[in-house]
Amino acid sequence: MKQRKIVFAIESDMKNVSLIGMTINKLCSLIPFSEVEAYQVELCVVEAVNNCIEHAYGSQRGHQVEVVFALENDKLVVDVCDTGKSMDEKAIEKADVAQLNIDPDNFHTMAEQGRGLPIMKQIMDTITYNTNDDGKNCLTLIKNI
Amino acid sequence: MQFEERKEGDILIVEVLNNRLDAQAADDFKEKMVGYISGGNSQIVLNMSAVDFVDSSGLGAMVSVIKSLGENGQLSVCGAKEPVMRMFKLTRMNKVFAMFEEETKAVEAMS
Repeated sequence: MKQRKIVFAIESDMKNVSLIGMTINKLCSLIPFSEVEAYQVELCVVEAVNNCIEHAYGSQRGHQVEVVFALENDKLVVDVCDTGKSMDEKAIEKADVAQLNIDPDNFHTMAEQGRGLPIMKQIMDTITYNTNDDGKNCLTLIKNI
Repeated sequence: MQFEERKEGDILIVEVLNNRLDAQAADDFKEKMVGYISGGNSQIVLNMSAVDFVDSSGLGAMVSVIKSLGENGQLSVCGAKEPVMRMFKLTRMNKVFAMFEEETKAVEAMS
């Protein structure tokens, strides 16, 4: 299997997330993805990195979020990894694209949070989540090319 | 978060000058927009033509703003680039905010 891979990391601070986002977007031009597709992959990775910072590390700085961008024969595989608190293993299963549905006439009930995983589910072909024996959590986002 | 704002009659036009409305910018965006509302502005056109990227935190901040406006207020969005527009459609936000390509059309529709 042919694979091209790059690994990069940021400190867990929201101000660093755009560095990951813009890099992912640029890397997507290698595939090549359209401008909209590249944005959507960037969006999913940004959402995953935000989740690591907010939930795994409780918005504490000084930790590492690692991103592995791999191009395989017919798919793009992005791992977003942290060593903080693990996500509920059923969170991905529970996340439903129907959560994106809204009642525009009743905007007072609209959620202000919680769209990250449903967005990822809508855009990506496969999402998995694993914690290894060393306590490293990895969310894997796969998009078929 | 940097904005440029001006009034056309009762309508406040707010142009977003930053190119990302993300988790880093969301709180500041919300605070400034709520400031405009507290200052008596209830009809707001948000010009997003400089914005390249919006994430779910940015959308959440926009939802919060429309809640602050209440039922008598209006928030329209204009100038969204294609990928940003697709994000609005993906999250059904195009049903929450009136969306216009051009600022003049957004102002006209609100007048």
